[in-house]
Amino acid sequence: MKIKTKLHVTLVTGAVLAAACGSSSKTTTATTVASSATSAAAGAAAGPAPAAITVGTLYAGTGSFAVSSLPEYEGIKFWVHEVDASGGAYVKAYNKKIPIKLVSYNDQSSTSTAGTLYTQLITQNHVNILMSDFGSVLTAPAVTIAKENKQLLFDVSGTGTTFFQASNNDPYIVLTSLPVSSIWPQPAVAFMKSVGIKNVAIIYGANDFDQAQANTYKQGLAAEGINVSFFQSVPTATTSYTTLIQEVAAKKPDAFLELGYEANDIAFLKQLHSSGTKFPYVFTVFPGQNHSQVEAAVGASGLAYTYTYGAPPALVHNSPSVGLGLSSFTTAFESYASKTHINFEDIAGYNAGLVVQQALANAASLSQTDLRAGVLSQSGKFSTLIGPFSMNAQGAQTGFPLPVAQLLPASSGSATKVTIVWPKSKATGTAVYPAP
Amino acid sequence: MLLEFALIGGVLTGMYYGFLAVGLNLVFGVLRFVNLAHGSVVVLGSYLTWELSNTWHLNPLLAGLIAFPPSLVLGAVIFYAVTPRLSRSADPEMLSLILFFGIAQAIEAITTIVFTSNRRALPGSTLGASSVSILGQRYPFYWVLGAAIAVPVFGAIYIYLYRTRLGLATRAVMSSPDDAASVGIDVKRVSAICLGVGLFLAASAGSLSIFIRGGTDPAQGIAVTTFAFTVIVIGGLGNPISSIAGGVVLGCAYNLAQAYAPSWSGVIPYGLLLAVMLIRPSGLFGSQVRVA
Amino acid sequence: MLRDDETLVGEIPGTASKDRVTQLFRNRSFVGDAAVALVLIGVFAFGRSFEANTLLLVNLMVYMILAQGINVSYGFTGYLPFGFVGFFGAGAYGMAVSTSKFHVGAYPGLVAGVVVSVVVALILSPLLRLRGSYFAIASLAAAEALVLLVSNPSAQGITNGAYGANLSSVFNPGASYVSTVVALGLVTAAVVWLKHSPFGLALRAIKADRSSAAMSGINVVRVRTFAWVISAAMAGLGGACYAWVISVFYPGDVFSLTTSVFAIIFALFGGIGTVVGPIVGTVVLYGIYNAIGITVPQYFQLIYGLLIVVIVLFVPRGLASLGASVFGRMSR
Repeated sequence: MKIKTKLHVTLVTGAVLAAACGSSSKTTTATTVASSATSAAAGAAAGPAPAAITVGTLYAGTGSFAVSSLPEYEGIKFWVHEVDASGGAYVKAYNKKIPIKLVSYNDQSSTSTAGTLYTQLITQNHVNILMSDFGSVLTAPAVTIAKENKQLLFDVSGTGTTFFQASNNDPYIVLTSLPVSSIWPQPAVAFMKSVGIKNVAIIYGANDFDQAQANTYKQGLAAEGINVSFFQSVPTATTSYTTLIQEVAAKKPDAFLELGYEANDIAFLKQLHSSGTKFPYVFTVFPGQNHSQVEAAVGASGLAYTYTYGAPPALVHNSPSVGLGLSSFTTAFESYASKTHINFEDIAGYNAGLVVQQALANAASLSQTDLRAGVLSQSGKFSTLIGPFSMNAQGAQTGFPLPVAQLLPASSGSATKVTIVWPKSKATGTAVYPAP
Repeated sequence: MLLEFALIGGVLTGMYYGFLAVGLNLVFGVLRFVNLAHGSVVVLGSYLTWELSNTWHLNPLLAGLIAFPPSLVLGAVIFYAVTPRLSRSADPEMLSLILFFGIAQAIEAITTIVFTSNRRALPGSTLGASSVSILGQRYPFYWVLGAAIAVPVFGAIYIYLYRTRLGLATRAVMSSPDDAASVGIDVKRVSAICLGVGLFLAASAGSLSIFIRGGTDPAQGIAVTTFAFTVIVIGGLGNPISSIAGGVVLGCAYNLAQAYAPSWSGVIPYGLLLAVMLIRPSGLFGSQVRVA
Repeated sequence: MLRDDETLVGEIPGTASKDRVTQLFRNRSFVGDAAVALVLIGVFAFGRSFEANTLLLVNLMVYMILAQGINVSYGFTGYLPFGFVGFFGAGAYGMAVSTSKFHVGAYPGLVAGVVVSVVVALILSPLLRLRGSYFAIASLAAAEALVLLVSNPSAQGITNGAYGANLSSVFNPGASYVSTVVALGLVTAAVVWLKHSPFGLALRAIKADRSSAAMSGINVVRVRTFAWVISAAMAGLGGACYAWVISVFYPGDVFSLTTSVFAIIFALFGGIGTVVGPIVGTVVLYGIYNAIGITVPQYFQLIYGLLIVVIVLFVPRGLASLGASVFGRMSR
């Protein structure tokens, strides 16, 4: 009886393998078809121009990433709206303006759903341009899918550490709107040295984004001879920091850095304020990017004199070489999206569109490799409302440096203003150190 | 010094954790299922609190009271719509888990549609004071407030369970629905009321949660439910009053972990839950023993 | 239909083993189940020639594997693990760590994925002492603890911690697809075997009445632990295949509660304790899920939540039971 059962299993397995081998040969055919399709697209430069350039992207309508993904998506939609209002984007391959058509799906903050939908965009919608959803987590599945389908991924804000390793040998990704998070802290380290900080405490979320920053801080501070006396990760889901604050207070550091997601920063700042403890220098990530929301949650008194990255809209670039400057963007975007406050993600989405536009304007054809060459050729040659654009060979963004900003109380005391304090060349105010 | 802070803080937050979880325990005790939508209702309560404070400029804690009538109605609607069909199925206990997961998803979706997915938080100043000094150390005011509110809440639950006719009926249903029915108790009515009260307790805990968790967003629900479940497992499933003890144990353990091994603090609730279930399934303070 | 045939199978164990084989092949249900398995493999083996979205096919297969895993655990033993995704994640990380840290090839990596999930299952086997909601939620807690362990900076040296996994060294879209098809074939074959073997019968005997099963000489603890391990191995295999296909992922992606819940709902909707149920359940519900996602994305979650409620209330025993009752009425 047992033998016969085994026989069955073997039979079924054999059939499985046979079928799978059949499929294996199919694979090659499918790939050939796909690549010939790509080359057809490449050769199409000579043929008639397409009626529209399709741009495909995903957004998270619900779930934990919705709060950041939706504004970024708004920014992308606004870009499409602007471009189409001006008659389309200039496409070098056809030497004319072609309108942009946006195709988008809702991945609900789920990576497996995102995977299917990215593939849908490439294989069913045959998008010319693929843009990823917000952040590293939802971008991760697109990295592989783009590589597999030889489709260039315009990564809007996924700064994942593993995406841009030289060993990946992946020519199908470019990061458009943020520098990799590991270079964010560089100006801040210089500032901390300039004010004479000697002893630093760092807590960070156990996720790619925050851990990469924390490690850069640690190395940068060590290189400057500054002592990091407390270096601890907390789970990303942490909402309670009070006990940790107490522990850090006992070590009396000059500087206390909390590197988290927005929810972490808000909880941390609120609890720091209620704990009654003070530090000369307190740094968090998000108040500079999403000032209005963080301030509404924490209150002006909780934010006052703390430091953050000075990202747009606090960092003002009003005369970029391409696209709208910050003030005109703000006016136009607020009326387009009927919003009263813009945040960094809105700008990041719009900026990603501008980078796509540069790719189209400089690529010899619409083939994915030419698009990438088009973007890379412009590295260091243009600037947007975020700042100067530059990119390394792995497709990682190395421009757009993030200065240090301090949240200085406005004269009324009921609000704070994001004031750039470092580097000196960009400063819009003078730092108050130590915090009163 | 740090130890003392962690322990006092643990007791304060722990009493609030008990409050956060007690509704789940009441529902489990009476209806014998885990209300996976508990956390989503907590989140709804937090949004109500935010609206009251920001749009109507009322005291945010009023939300904890206003939620009473709608919670009772919602409880009754869910109960009468769902349980007759559930109880006819082969495995009501497991199916109810899935069912309430679906309800949680729907509540989360509606919350997102109505309030958007933006994170909502209220500054501590909304409550008046910001910190309170106990034995020479300063604690956030909302910790103390959470504990101060949890005490009368548990007092009221105690009086309801042990000093009222409805409470007597509730306890009878908890120990055996069949016996309760045989002595003339309207099991369905008691159960529907308990579900409503459980939802109300969840919603009113939400009005503090927006402060203690540092804010709220629609996606928080399931995490809150798991956390609350941990509290009631530690305290003892099916014994609402023991939830406060479960909360205090969890609060202290969490605070100690945060003080001495912060990167592992997240594992504490799950580790405790597993340990208690394997070593003492009836909970540290429960009397009912559940045979595996 | 299926239900009636199950009783037929139930009469077998008393008879001699030679007869059993003949009976097995005379058994319409067995032949039907084996045919289902073969058709399934065929469809996916050639799937890419009619569906260009290969990841959709992979996700379908992975969910079928997981739904079958739930089927083995819940359908045959009555244990519903809410944290089933823990094994899926363990398998994915077994694959990722063995290939990128220890530089074994992709195929040994798949085996490593299965081994890791089996080890996790053995470590967690004391949870089988719990029943009902206790077991369901305890397994969820175990999965949550596991993801925190994987992403903790102290585990960085092995798992790459919060930076996530990148399997670009073994990246191979063709081979990883084929492996997933083979994995689905193996898993389906295992369920066919379970359903028609004395072992499967022992499992169902335990599910129905533990003490009489024990009295009739079944080693309850050993049998159910074995089923638990098989179920975990299935999820581990699914996770390892998924990891290979998707290649770049974070700890949270492969330990997401949604994955568990989907697998459970797919299995329940199709009908547990059958071979074809979890397959049909996955095709229908995951199909609907993707259709909603592409057509009315703004109401995605609401529709899906309500759909779950409706399924539980109106098809609590799954589509297979509906099929059975319709068939029953027709043949009467």
